[in-house]
Amino acid sequence: MNAANLSLQLLTGLQIGAIYVMIALGLTLIFGTLGVANFAHGALFMIGAYLGYVVAEATNHWVAFIAVPPAVFLVGIVIERTLVRFFYNRPASDQILVTFGLALVLQELMRWIFGGTNLPYGTPPWATVPVDIGIGYYPPWRLVIVGVTAAAVLGLFLLLRYTRFGLVVRAGMRDPEMLGFLGIDVPKRFTLVFGLGALFAGIAGVIGGPITGVTPDIGMAVLVPSFLVVVIGGMGSLAGAVISGLILGEAVSLSVLIYPPSTQIIVYLIAAVVLLWRPRGLLGVKGVME
Amino acid sequence: MITPFGARSRYREFWIMSGVAAVLAALPWLLTLIGGYTELATPILLWGMFALGFDILLGFTGLLSFGHAAFWGLGGYASGMILLRVSNDLLLAVAAGTVVGGAASALLGYLTLRRRGIYFSILTLAFAEMFYYAALAPLQDWTGGDNGLTGIPAAQLFGIAMKGWPIYAVIAAATFAGIYVARRIARSPYGLILRAIKANETRVASTGIHTRHYKFAAFVISGLYAGLAGALSAAYQTYVPTDALHWTTSGQLVMMAVIGGTGTLFGPMLGAGIVLYLQNVLSATIPQWLLVQGLIFMAFVVFLPGGVVEAGRRLARALSRGRKRQPPVPDAASVKGVGSVHAD
Repeated sequence: MNAANLSLQLLTGLQIGAIYVMIALGLTLIFGTLGVANFAHGALFMIGAYLGYVVAEATNHWVAFIAVPPAVFLVGIVIERTLVRFFYNRPASDQILVTFGLALVLQELMRWIFGGTNLPYGTPPWATVPVDIGIGYYPPWRLVIVGVTAAAVLGLFLLLRYTRFGLVVRAGMRDPEMLGFLGIDVPKRFTLVFGLGALFAGIAGVIGGPITGVTPDIGMAVLVPSFLVVVIGGMGSLAGAVISGLILGEAVSLSVLIYPPSTQIIVYLIAAVVLLWRPRGLLGVKGVME
Repeated sequence: MITPFGARSRYREFWIMSGVAAVLAALPWLLTLIGGYTELATPILLWGMFALGFDILLGFTGLLSFGHAAFWGLGGYASGMILLRVSNDLLLAVAAGTVVGGAASALLGYLTLRRRGIYFSILTLAFAEMFYYAALAPLQDWTGGDNGLTGIPAAQLFGIAMKGWPIYAVIAAATFAGIYVARRIARSPYGLILRAIKANETRVASTGIHTRHYKFAAFVISGLYAGLAGALSAAYQTYVPTDALHWTTSGQLVMMAVIGGTGTLFGPMLGAGIVLYLQNVLSATIPQWLLVQGLIFMAFVVFLPGGVVEAGRRLARALSRGRKRQPPVPDAASVKGVGSVHAD
């Protein structure tokens, strides 16, 4: 193993982490403001991947990248309006149960429509052939994933930091009740936040689908490590989600070099260590969302 | 208010357990009457036992675990490996499976009970997946990887080959014992504290009770039940699929418990029976059975979180109201927070 190989592997880790970050940010946004642990979030990723495949087959990849995320945003809005909003005042366990049921239903719906096999959702032709990036040849699609994720994270940061909507969302993560007292239409903001989380899952699905594969099971397979990202980062901390997502991505990628069979379990070992050492997560604050 | 669970006369308990014995003996025959088949009785009892232990955790303590596939699956693998490599004695295999299930739940409980509420559910789901992936790749020389653990020889108990009716008798006896023990736990002061934790953990803690120890014990008890049921399942099927460790197994368990009605002990067992019966009868006509089951489950969560048991209670109340023409006094067990699924 030489330095070039190692840097390529680190780059792959960045790409794996990017997908985790996208899902985890949506989970944290939704949990932070709405207080709902959305077990159907992986299903939104899966829908993004399936829609991406369908649209790319019918037209081309560019149309898919532009059309699918807003479509998943709408799916999120519909889910929030027709199902999740009735659970804001129900116990947390009921919220988990209903979103888990929804995840299962969406997964089986896709299995019914498309079958259980992996659909051939390829990368666009221009991103298929590895290019020389100075340290070796690398598939450009993975670079696209890292770039898009970086842009999305930056966009989210700007949205939350510099807009009125962002101010309201951040206030909602601190104290949703107070927000209502101040005369802000909280339910409307809730719907938008859920949609925003879905949008991130949709982006991740449409760009990540060619890497992760397009099967009904992909939703849960992506959701579980993303949950760990959220817990490790500290629930409600967006920066924590980004940092821990990248740490887990690198850990998965580097474990391939050291001992390949450990790839699938390395994230759980890290999560166990963090839980024992810092139960609140890396950037979790005492008393916030516990 | 929380009253001791079923704290009524000992006489009544004798009749209830007699009824349980009668149902266990008649179940294979009862199933043929409603379009099922006799062999279906065995998986119903196995999943029923699994769900029974789970109810001590979810229904009584209010902890929603999405990781019980780990204990069921590890119990199965342990039992299968004993039968395959050590001895074909059923008692040894089942004891090993139960101990392994309990030990795994102690490990997971130690980790996951550091956090509460949704974190607990998330963490149990995640750490149980760790065992699934561990069985799939790093340990595949032991577990058979993707193929699962195959070629398990038929177990023996006191020289009797454990298949068909003999193993049904053994599983029915284990279920009977499991129900008896679970009811004893539910009636004990310990069971009372579990239900108090479900109702208001902070308040229980403020009376000087170390709630995490109680929750840990409830978690391990449910893990022992899962290990026992999984171990018997491996001996019965002579096969352990990798799916035994997959999250779908945990999901099935949760759905069975909720559809039946949590916090009632018999409810989750009933749920296991209903789900397996419908699955076997309907999956021939409905290829997408899991989709339908998911919709049924969601409908219960949205409209009737108390499950079939709650539906039965409401029906009985409505009927008695129609007869007496006077508002009934709700009995203690149906007051919210005792028999219902609500947990925070």
